[in-house]
Amino acid sequence: MKMTARMLVLLLVATALSAADKIDLAKSQKHWAFQPVKKPALPMVKNKVWVKNSIDQFILARLEKAGLQPAPPAALSDLQRRIHYALRGLLPVPNSKIGDLKSEIKIQMATPQYGERWARHWLDVVRYADSNGLDENAAHANAWRYRDYVVTSFNADKPFDQFIIEQIAGDLLSAKGEAARREQRIATGFLSLGPKVLAEPDKIKMEMDIIDEQIDTLGKALLGLTLGCARCHDHKFDPIPTADYYALAGIFKSTKTMDSLKTIAKWHEHSFATPAHKKLKEKHEALIATQKKAVNAFTAKANQQLLVELKLEKLPTNPEGKYSETNQVELAKLNSTLKRLEADVYVLPSAMGVEDGNATNLPIFVRGNHERPGEIQPRHFPRALSDGKPISDKVSGRLELAQWIANRNNPLTARVMVNRVWRWHFGRGLVGTPDNFGKLGEKPSHPELLDWLAAWFVENGWSVKKLNVLILNSATFQMSSTPNAAALKIDPTNVLMSRAPLRRMEAEPLRDSLLQIGGQLDLKVGGTIWAFENYKLVFNHTSEDATTYNSNRRAIYLPVIRNHVYDLFELFDFPDPGTVNGNRADTTIAPQSLYLMNSPLVLRTCATMAKQLLAEGKLNNTERVEWLYVKVYNRKPTANESKRAVAFVNEFCQEQQASWQALCQALLSSNEFLYLK
Amino acid sequence: MNEQITTELSRRAFLGKTAGGLGSMALSYLLRQDALTKPSLPHFAPKAKRVIYMFMSGGPSQVDTFDPKPLLNRLEGKTMPASIIKNHQFAMIKTKNPIVKGSPWKFQNHGQSGIEISELFPQVSKVADELAVVRSLHTDSFNHDPAVMFLNTGDVRFGRPSLGAWTSYGLGTENANLPAYVVLVSGKNRQPLLDSYWGAGFLPTEYQGTPFRSQGEPVLYLRNPKGISSKTRRDQIDLIRSLNEKHQENVNDPEITARIKQYELAYRMQTSVPELAALTHESQAVRTAYGAELGKVSFANNCLLARRLCERGVRFVQLFEKGWDSHGNIAKEHTARSRAVDQPIAALISDLKQRGLLDETLIVWGGEFGRTPMAQGNGVGYGRDHHPHGFTMWMAGGGAKPGIVHGATDEFGYFAIKDKVHVHDLNATILHLLGLDHEHLIYKHAGRDFRLTDVHGYVVRELLG
Repeated sequence: MKMTARMLVLLLVATALSAADKIDLAKSQKHWAFQPVKKPALPMVKNKVWVKNSIDQFILARLEKAGLQPAPPAALSDLQRRIHYALRGLLPVPNSKIGDLKSEIKIQMATPQYGERWARHWLDVVRYADSNGLDENAAHANAWRYRDYVVTSFNADKPFDQFIIEQIAGDLLSAKGEAARREQRIATGFLSLGPKVLAEPDKIKMEMDIIDEQIDTLGKALLGLTLGCARCHDHKFDPIPTADYYALAGIFKSTKTMDSLKTIAKWHEHSFATPAHKKLKEKHEALIATQKKAVNAFTAKANQQLLVELKLEKLPTNPEGKYSETNQVELAKLNSTLKRLEADVYVLPSAMGVEDGNATNLPIFVRGNHERPGEIQPRHFPRALSDGKPISDKVSGRLELAQWIANRNNPLTARVMVNRVWRWHFGRGLVGTPDNFGKLGEKPSHPELLDWLAAWFVENGWSVKKLNVLILNSATFQMSSTPNAAALKIDPTNVLMSRAPLRRMEAEPLRDSLLQIGGQLDLKVGGTIWAFENYKLVFNHTSEDATTYNSNRRAIYLPVIRNHVYDLFELFDFPDPGTVNGNRADTTIAPQSLYLMNSPLVLRTCATMAKQLLAEGKLNNTERVEWLYVKVYNRKPTANESKRAVAFVNEFCQEQQASWQALCQALLSSNEFLYLK
Repeated sequence: MNEQITTELSRRAFLGKTAGGLGSMALSYLLRQDALTKPSLPHFAPKAKRVIYMFMSGGPSQVDTFDPKPLLNRLEGKTMPASIIKNHQFAMIKTKNPIVKGSPWKFQNHGQSGIEISELFPQVSKVADELAVVRSLHTDSFNHDPAVMFLNTGDVRFGRPSLGAWTSYGLGTENANLPAYVVLVSGKNRQPLLDSYWGAGFLPTEYQGTPFRSQGEPVLYLRNPKGISSKTRRDQIDLIRSLNEKHQENVNDPEITARIKQYELAYRMQTSVPELAALTHESQAVRTAYGAELGKVSFANNCLLARRLCERGVRFVQLFEKGWDSHGNIAKEHTARSRAVDQPIAALISDLKQRGLLDETLIVWGGEFGRTPMAQGNGVGYGRDHHPHGFTMWMAGGGAKPGIVHGATDEFGYFAIKDKVHVHDLNATILHLLGLDHEHLIYKHAGRDFRLTDVHGYVVRELLG
């Protein structure tokens, strides 16, 4: 065989690459997160009485080693608030009996609001948004179907491994029935939701950027790995050589995410149009056609009349203007019907998602530049975590990838998920960097507990509900948040979990709780409240974003517009919906205070509360204050608090409504409402 | 770096790192404390105390403003040499053989420095001796959004803190009644402006830019509702304070004090911001000099507001003037844009100088990229396309060397060829003038140290006064 110049170049590049490919896999594999999960034995503890379940044993062992004792149990009313917040993102119903905590947890977990609360956590991780963002902020008018799929999955307690597989390759699974098939295809919206440069002139670059975004999201969300870093060079810190990156990229290159790359590019959508839908659409189109015919027929008739009337041989310009009044009215009527029919577009149901394309292997693009292709990389999974065997040429490899990630032997998947759940309960993960389990991520504070939880999670069928029950029933979760002097000294940042964390309500529970208190919250589950034409720019160079947020549905149903997030969300640390985020910020800034002081939502809520209070004619002021405290803080006021509040109302101003409203607002603006003790 | 600073920074890094919840709260609290007790934390003596960043959104054409290229006029109508444009792709130009287009605007030397500026900027030309013009900027991206993100945050992706956020993180605020970083928007609505352009990224959100709106209330929810006087508001905040103090006895957490402070800041902003934003406090003569008109949304009003913000100790003011993206009809559009900004810029520079503030206030002017020396389209309606390979920005005041031109593009105004200045270099230089070492202004996030300039950037010494 004769060596061509191109082959020589390829060979040289390949040699250079393998020389650069110096990542020592054996050595790198020693990183803690790449070790197989082994369920450790429970550690010995002294204070056995405190322990409610295995979690506590790990936490207590560390505390005792540090010479600390856990904080005492939280007050029941605080705990009830915490449980409702954790499971539903709402306040407890006032005066609801606090009975047995175990059954309370069970009951709250069975409400549909549980799925909404937990879906929102997951939506942070998968960078969910109802618009594309970037320069071409096109509407994801069907993204809500994916959101509903996530809500349904958490409510149904879908095993997390299955949940992962569906999101990566649901379209490739066999399905029990049409409904399941549809759900599974909607699940693949996970891969399609990312921000895309839809007007990128270089089409190969556009495609590779989209693939990069998919790999980056997949890596961080499911494996806690920053795989995207290996696009241009071997990963500087984790054992992900560029070769492995392009081996993964091949899987997505073999997948169809886009229908058209032509500016403005269009992402693929699964169609769910049934014959019945199509029939309806045809019927609608037939109606339009009939109406058009009617308009034409009438025009022809009227034109004829006009010629006769005016004794002309040729029609004048703008003949309609010269029709008789009756004819003009009739024509206008026909036209308006036509316009209405045409405007009432019959949209066939569809959802964002991917399907298989042609199975292809990609070359390495040297320094990420597709104009410099190197050696072809057969599709495979990262070698540091797998045998690196090539995937069959007959398939895209997406299903195989999904199964590899969701495999019980994958050392990262279960660890990453239990850590996320822990983070959502305690405000800090056992690994402080939930999206990065690589070398540059933080080391686990309680490595044995992390592994024990990961093993337990898999043994218990990857059930998120069971994991939540375990955590919420632990003495660890049920501790008070008040630190003692020793804890403040030895464990100032509470890494050892010497007490429960004090946490500010997140944006959505805050808003939903305000609506709940004002009696306005609409608990309807699912569907979309946002009427926007699919692919249409939400706002562009010449228009403003016209999205409104005045619905009383739960916050999870409000549109998430990339580049222009709802102001309440923005103020209260809603994450950037363009990237994976398992670690929301928790800040305190003055504009938040202004929101609580002056926003219409807060003012409306307080006005309603004051009205309700004053309508209760039988109550005296002390009883009113009690009603208020129970509603807002889930507890009765002390005698002093009561006295202070009544005095405030009496002194504030002449007008009863205004005074009570001011008191309501002070309570809603106070830390006891905004924070979970 | 002296030891105190090292300790200070590591304390910040420590608090930042442990930021699940309490860490970052404690951080906000402590930093605010720092900001109030110590005016700043520079690495070395700063030249500039604050920045007014005039962002010309959409990308002004270098060859029509500050970078004269007579060759373009001589070759007008000829095909651009293939050797120059090579295999470049353009955002909008589709033809393989784009046509050279000279500038319709005349350039002249101005001031003692003799800096050449086009007739689009007659007023700025009069303060030419204050400018440090950089003609050799280049950037990595040629689409608006990534290019603006890159210039402002050092990365094309979401999630990094902006220059203004880094500055307020590093130096804090000098005025407890106002946010440290304020954003003002004007101009013709073209490119949407993203919140991420002035975002705090992974820094605590208190460092993000606070957009002041040009009409209505300058800050969202600033105004008390009807029937609530300042006095009754005070009573209410006192009640909140006492509720929070009571709560604090139970939870024993510094966060509570922090939130009380935020209510106090909010309360003070209710007074300070309307006073600040009321341009009625300026004399008619001053308003006329800027071209400001009461109640109007304009770059002129924003320039005047920027001066008022600076006087009150705001650290970073970023003005966004939209509408420079002239793909077509550049003659008309660039005329309109330059008319909107020319007089106010000159007025601001003179005004700051007269008040003795120019030396300590760094002004930065420019867009996310330049525009092609070739025409997009033809006839009178021609425009110019996005151009990342060579463009112009300038600085004034704040320790920038006055009356100089730094760097150059080739004869076509296509590539930066002499003393090239990359976006990272520009950002490193701006931080340097503020007394911050771009290699040591670090924040630990997700297990990694982050900088505005990533692992790049050199301070451009020639630009230092």
